[in-house]
Parts: sequence; C-alpha cells; structure tokens
Amino acid sequence: MMRRAAAFLLMLVAFTGAARADQLVTDLSEHQIAIRSNFTGTQILLFGAVEARTPGTRALNRDVVVVVQGPVRPVMVRRKERVAGVWVNHDSVTYPNVPGYYAIASTRPLEVTAAADTLKALRIGIENIGPGAPTARSIDGTVQILPPDEETAFWKALIRNKRRDGLYINVPGGVTFLGQTLFRATVNIPANVPVGLYTAKVYLLQDGEIVDTISSPLYIDKRGVERFIFRMAHSDPLLYGLIAVLVAAFAGWLASAVMNRR
Amino acid sequence: MQIYLPIAELPVNILTILAMGATVGFLSGMFGIGGGFLMTPLLIFLGIPPAVAVGTQTTQVVASSVTGALAHFTRKSIDFKMGGVLLAGGIVGSLSGIYLFKVLTAIGQIDLTISIAYVLLLSVIGVMMMVESVRAIRAARGGAQPARRGGHHSWIHGLPFKARFRRSKLYISVIPPVLVGFFVGVLSAIMGVGGGFIMIPAMIYLLRMPTNVVIGTSFFQIVFVAALTGVMHATENQAVDIVLGFLLVVGGVIGAQYGVRAAEKMPAEQLRALLAAILMLIGLRLGYDLISTPPDLYSIIEVEPLP
Repeated sequence: MMRRAAAFLLMLVAFTGAARADQLVTDLSEHQIAIRSNFTGTQILLFGAVEARTPGTRALNRDVVVVVQGPVRPVMVRRKERVAGVWVNHDSVTYPNVPGYYAIASTRPLEVTAAADTLKALRIGIENIGPGAPTARSIDGTVQILPPDEETAFWKALIRNKRRDGLYINVPGGVTFLGQTLFRATVNIPANVPVGLYTAKVYLLQDGEIVDTISSPLYIDKRGVERFIFRMAHSDPLLYGLIAVLVAAFAGWLASAVMNRR
Repeated sequence: MQIYLPIAELPVNILTILAMGATVGFLSGMFGIGGGFLMTPLLIFLGIPPAVAVGTQTTQVVASSVTGALAHFTRKSIDFKMGGVLLAGGIVGSLSGIYLFKVLTAIGQIDLTISIAYVLLLSVIGVMMMVESVRAIRAARGGAQPARRGGHHSWIHGLPFKARFRRSKLYISVIPPVLVGFFVGVLSAIMGVGGGFIMIPAMIYLLRMPTNVVIGTSFFQIVFVAALTGVMHATENQAVDIVLGFLLVVGGVIGAQYGVRAAEKMPAEQLRALLAAILMLIGLRLGYDLISTPPDLYSIIEVEPLP
C-alpha cells in the first residue's frame, strides 16, 4: 500500500514536472523482431533526444535509463538436495509474475542515478522486478513457509539463472549521449528470447528525480516456417504428430528402397 | 550453419546435428542397433531439453526400424503373431510410459529419471556387450566353443493363456511376451529408445524364439510402438521437434548405408568392444553428473499459470 502510494506520488511529480522540465523523444530501430529459422539472436537500437524546455541551459546530473521488459510468466525455481548420494530437485518456489526478459541500460550506474527507494518504487533494476507473492513447496508438493532469507536465496538464484542465459542484462553506461541532446543504447536480444509483447521504457532523470517517461511496444514473434510448425504443434498436435511419424516412416522406406536397388 | 528449432526453441548447428545423426546411423547400420540409446544422451549433452530429446528421438527410431522391418519382411523373417502379442503389451506400456512421463515432469523429476534410466541401461548393455565381444574374440583365437542352450522346460511353461506361434515353432503362454512388450513400451516412452537391445535378448533367452525371426519380429514391434510413442509425445507434451527429427533422420539414413557396408569389411568383434566401451563411458559421464555437486543447485523452469 505504502509502495503504491509512493509510486503514485512520484508519477504525479513526474507529470506536473513535465510541463516545465525537459522532455523525451525516442524510438526503436525495430518494433517487431521475427524469429525465423536463421534466428541466432539480434540487437535493437534505441535512440532518442532530450528536448530542453529552456534552450541554452546545460543540464547537469541528467540521466537516461532504458528498460526493455518481456512478457511475464509464472516461473518455478527448484533447489537440488543430495538424496542417497544423488542430487534431486527438492524444494521449489514459484513466482507468478516473472518477466522472461529484462534488460536495463543507463548513462551511469543505477546506484548513483537515483535513490534506492525511487528505483524500487518504479521497479527499475533487476533486483526491483517484483515477481509477485512466492509460493514455496517441498518435494512432495505440499505448500510450506520458508524463512525470508531462504526465499531470497531462491529469488537470487532465479536472477543468476536468467543472467547466465543472457535474458537478464544490466549495462551501466549502456546509454551514451552524442552531444547535448541525442542519446542511444543498444540492447542485446539472445537467441533463446521468449516470444510476446515487450515494452521499452525510457526514463529521464534530473538530480535523481524522474522528469519524463516514454514507453514503446516491441513485438517478438516466430515467423514463417517456425511460426507454422510451432502453431501446428500446439493447435493440432495429433495431426502434427502423425506427420512427424509418417515423414520418418517414409524416410525409412526410402532408405530400404535405395538399399535394395544396389 | 545455424538453424532455429521451433519446438526446442534454440538454434543449433545443422552440420553438428547431421554429423550426430550420421554417426549414430553408422553405428546402427554396423551393429544392427536402433541407436536411440546413443542419440538421446547426445542431444541432452547438446542442450536440447530432455523432454524434446526423448520425444523427437522417437521419429528417428521409427525411420530406422521401418528400414529394418522392411528388410526382414522381404526375407520372411517376422513372426507376425508373436509381434502382435509383443505389440499389444507395447501399446499399453507406451501409454503408461507417457502418463508416467507427464507425472514426473509435473513433479520436476523427469530429468533425474531419464538420467538414472540411462546410467542403468548403458552400464548393463555396455558390460554385456563387452563380455560377449571379449568372449567372441577369445573364441575366434582359440577355436570356437559350442553354443549352449539351457533346459527346455522352465517356469514359463507353467503359465496359462497358451498360444501357438507357428513361425517361431513355439507353444507358450502369451503372458511373458506381453510383459516384455510392456516393459519395452515404457522404456520407449521415457527414454526415446526402440528397446531392441532389451527385447532381443529377452526373446532369445526368455521366450526361446529361434534367432532367425528374433530381429525381424522386434523391428516389427518397434515400428508401431515408436510411432505411437511419437504421436503421444506430440499430443501430450508438445515435445516433438519436426525440424530436429528431420535432420536426425536424414543423417541417420545416410550413416546407416555406410555402416552396413563397413560392417562387411571390418573386424566386427573388436568394433563391438569399442562400442561397448563408448556406452560405458557415456553411462559413467551421466552417472558422474548425478552424484557430483552441480555448479548451481538452483534451476528455473516456466510453469503454467494457476487457474
């Protein structure tokens, strides 16, 4: 409740401030990314300009933070434990709203950009994602209550795994200014990126306060043959399975026909 | 050259997959094995999710067993009645295996189960093949020993529901072949293998079928069980990657042609010993992964939203 109120207040400050303060103009190099059979990951370029309300004044302590976030899904984190000498998935914690992808780039490291509370309220930064209320389960599926520090270990493990897969990215200094007003940031999209609707948010901060925010959509989807196969496997699984098996059987027959001709 | 797999959802190198398919195909042509128990661990090492590796591997099993079954069909070395009985057990086994697979996936133990099953299977087959080939090499050096066959009457002959299998010249209960078929069906669903390496020894030593119909009959059963397993993995788990399967089949078909020809020229027993060593190594590696402390104790997986 407190957090929400704080966020609301901040938004209010941001909106009223926007009337006299600087403004953002941004765009993405692409608003759609197609995953085709040759997809091995890509990069998107986000560029923009800060339009100063009072020309001629040189802005100090001005920061731009870019957050690209993917669709949220429930994610289960499992911890292995040794059972009879073998490592077995044991306890698990499920978070309901975990973004499949989260990239953040900023002109300076986040710690010096704004106060920790501000970042937390706006959910800026990988640690501030806010994955929703966790559900902890033991190996037999019964719900259990974990002490907070243990639960934190699961959350940290989630971030660690996502970072390792290249899906959670933090690039301090990833936003570069070209002169006084123009800025750009490149964001890495790895090959294992989940599909769906993404948002690219750009925050303009002045002395640690949000001055302007702009959000643009980014759509990542499978296209062409990839899309056709994926769709069919999910919407018409029986036909899909039959085709897969019949193609294989045909290849087997073809092989024996070739062998017999020799 | 990279290609993005639509179901496994990751890019792989086409040449790597074709080479793997060709290598396993070569071995399967050379030794008359299906090769599923080699391919699935290789796919998992490559980073393909275990469920997709198992589901997709069944298409490769279908292709190689169709080739095998057709060859034996023209030689009339298939006992269709026995094959049918094995198949009946296999269908029930496959369906149970798919159900088990779903349950294990839901509780997060499928990867562990697949690994343990492979460790057990690879070490057992590896040791058996090694013993057999060492014995054969010795026999070839020191003069052949007469093959022994045990007594003709065992507990199997006391079971009910007897049926006559003309092609196999047998009059036995249908219970043992149904059970053998069932076991192989479960393995097919959980491990993505044909199961010939289990079925063939069972047919020879347990059912005492004549060796000339054993291989053809097992191929006949595997064709249909693997086809059913593949379709079930597609409908129940969406775990069949048709692009990956196609690449594996193409590589496998080409490799098998050379394997069959190479088998005619090379010292088969020494190669069999080599294959046994490879199997034991893969088994050891998988076993080591089970007991060594993993680099990260935590793993993440997307789950379905609660209703």
